[in-house]
Amino acid sequence: MYAPLLANRYLTSRIIPFIAVAAVALCVALVIIVVSVMSGFLDMVRESGKTLIGDVVVSRDITGIPYYEELIRDIEALPEAEAASPIIETYGLLQMPYGTSDGGSSIETVQVWGIDPATLDRVTEYRGKLYWAKPTDEAARTMLPDDPRLDPMYQRQAEGFALATAEGQPGLVTGIEISPFNRRTTDGSYRTESPLGKQDAGFFLPNTSGATLTLVPVTDRGSLGGEKKRRFAIVNEFQSGVYQIDAQRVLAPIAVVQEMLRLDRAPIVSPDELDENGRPKVVGESPARATTIVVKAAAGVSPARLRDAVNACYSQFVDRKLGERGLRVLPPPMVSVATWEERLADLIGPVQKEREMMRILFSIVYVVCAALVLAIFWAIVQEKTRDIGILRAVGASRVGVLWIFLRYGLLIGVVGSMLGVLLAWGIVARLNDIHDLLGMPAATWLKVLAWVACAGGLALTVRGLVRASALHTVFWFFATVALVAIGVALTLHRGFLVWDPSVYYFSRIPTRIDLFTATTTMVGGIVFSVIGAAIPAARAADTDPVKSLRYE
Amino acid sequence: MTMLLAAEHVKKTYRLGKVAVPVLRDASMTVAEGEWVSIVGSSGSGKSTLLHLLGGLDRPDADSGPIRFNGADLRAFGPARQNHYRNRDVGFVFQFYHLLPELTVLENAMLPALVGLSRLRWLGERSALRDRTAELLKTCGLSHRLGHRPAELSGGERQRVAIARALINEPKVLLADEPTGNLDVRTGSGILDLLAERQAAGLTLVMVTHDESVAARAHRRVRIADGAVEH
Ligand SMILES: Nc1ncnc2c1ncn2[C@@H]1O[C@H](COP(=O)(O)OP(=O)(O)OP(=O)(O)O)[C@@H](O)[C@H]1O
Ligand SMILES: [Mg+2]
Repeated sequence: MYAPLLANRYLTSRIIPFIAVAAVALCVALVIIVVSVMSGFLDMVRESGKTLIGDVVVSRDITGIPYYEELIRDIEALPEAEAASPIIETYGLLQMPYGTSDGGSSIETVQVWGIDPATLDRVTEYRGKLYWAKPTDEAARTMLPDDPRLDPMYQRQAEGFALATAEGQPGLVTGIEISPFNRRTTDGSYRTESPLGKQDAGFFLPNTSGATLTLVPVTDRGSLGGEKKRRFAIVNEFQSGVYQIDAQRVLAPIAVVQEMLRLDRAPIVSPDELDENGRPKVVGESPARATTIVVKAAAGVSPARLRDAVNACYSQFVDRKLGERGLRVLPPPMVSVATWEERLADLIGPVQKEREMMRILFSIVYVVCAALVLAIFWAIVQEKTRDIGILRAVGASRVGVLWIFLRYGLLIGVVGSMLGVLLAWGIVARLNDIHDLLGMPAATWLKVLAWVACAGGLALTVRGLVRASALHTVFWFFATVALVAIGVALTLHRGFLVWDPSVYYFSRIPTRIDLFTATTTMVGGIVFSVIGAAIPAARAADTDPVKSLRYE
Repeated sequence: MTMLLAAEHVKKTYRLGKVAVPVLRDASMTVAEGEWVSIVGSSGSGKSTLLHLLGGLDRPDADSGPIRFNGADLRAFGPARQNHYRNRDVGFVFQFYHLLPELTVLENAMLPALVGLSRLRWLGERSALRDRTAELLKTCGLSHRLGHRPAELSGGERQRVAIARALINEPKVLLADEPTGNLDVRTGSGILDLLAERQAAGLTLVMVTHDESVAARAHRRVRIADGAVEH
């Protein structure tokens, strides 16, 4: 019955348990924050890739996959697939609606995606990435009050989903970073500016007269056709969150791109025969083509399984087409079928490597924290060796003595770990605010406060000297030094951008607590607290009381 | 008549690295029930060592003779019996008090009683135990100090708490290691009076001292010299 009494007394009558709780909490918080932010970041890189191209990508070079509509029907009939959508991928030049300073137009090299918005939206989260759209209530809450997207007029103009203007003119959706007048601010949002530099005077890219896209068709023999130019209205912008994509890609209606690249349906004419009208005789039909088909897996189907199913599906498709009579164009025997991870290997590869690096670093952080917690408890219990000797001398059992310190370690471990999780959660949830705060020069009142605190610390140091108190003098001296350092840092601080969106792909720092990490770290915090307390306690409990009593 | 406590040709050697320090070479002594024996000897002669061995707080050498309590060899005790021996059969008063600093006087004194109680029995006997401990502390002259911490007590007061702790489970024998060694003569004799009172009431008392006047109050005196007991 002495175990609860002593465990409680050890906890309440000394300051060291509070230090131990703080240490455990800080260690747990440190691990959770580091792991959550880093793995959240890596997950975002990966997941953004997935939301951009679906689970599996079927692709071929610029000559395209003929009869792709039929292939898509076959794929969608697979139990493993949920939806599929055709895409044409190519490169082109985009003549922007604004000029350069010397009077010419500004021209951007862009990656062009001809898409079918309706089916693409079923495969990826295409619609959600359109920038000029009526924001969801949740998104609206996080927007600045002067965000143009909150204006109903802009919302009405946001017609990008149709990829065409109301008048039926083909439309273009450009990546948000393509226009230099969209400036990402330190908080990750965009400021839309007119070319005149006037802040947000109703100017945004979809409001302009439009842009001219130039594409160069390639024949299936590999030679270049004449370039095709076409004027598009810019109907919207999209924000995928991946900087490289937002700064390069434009989306156009697939039919228009097919036509410009001569990948649309066309008659095949004989080079020497003429028909009854004296025109070259039509001998067959060349089908429309897509260079890429993106496929979304059915619920619970892994991308790898879907890939294999699509591969098999394609072979069957080819066999069937070979069996059909009178076809002038046959599908290629092989296409590339890859999961999104394989497809984005160049993007994900380094991320994967970083993740492994991170694992090693996390392990080191974890081990260091565990060692720290162990050391703290070791020191605390070691100091109680004499008490353990006394307890054993009056007849306490080994188990009883051990139980005191198990309770002690358990309680500190549980309280510390829970505080640590709360602390980590608080910091991670506010990480973007903290980051934004770092991006700004310190507030004047804060600087004044810091310097006033410095003066106060100095005064207390002097008081300590006058009163000849070593403790007060030493404590306040170091406190003053720390305060001066803080004051200097605040005064010199001009604001810096730690998380540069153009470097990190993403505009926002991930703020999701990794549940697995939080749980394992919390459990780890408790386990190491208990081990740290139990081992020296067990050692002392095993020692003959006389020896423990001699411990000073 | 079997002796309450008996040491028969006991050997105890301390090892300091490679150096063996033989403290007790061949120590034999007996204590009869109800007796008051004092152990004297020069400093470093091994008085405390012998007392610790009698109290089961330390183990003799492997080739030592037995230490017997009521005829039973302490070395044959299992862990549970050993804990019981320390808790119930003997009370030990240390040369340097050895109180738990976080507990109050009352809690320190009732610690051995708490050790022997299960949680359930504690709930039932809590108030009775408190009363009994307070009563015992009163007879030790500490009724006004029950809620104090050891750090707030004088040396004599601490030694009284240690004696109360040794007596709380009403052991058969009290082993006291220089209970008056750090105290002035008046305080010391007060403590000796307390022990004498208990001894008169039937307690067996083994007391280490190097003070002849203290030793003189005992019925019998043994002297340790050269690792052996002279009678
Ligand atoms: N744990 C130990 N390790 C090594 N030597 C020890 C140990 N304990 C005791 N000794 C040695 O054993 C000898 C006897 O010690 P002990 O404490 O029994 O003497 P004592 O007779 O009680 O002396 P005092 O009157 O000063 O208390 C001393 O020389 C001491 O240095
Ligand atoms: Mg001694």
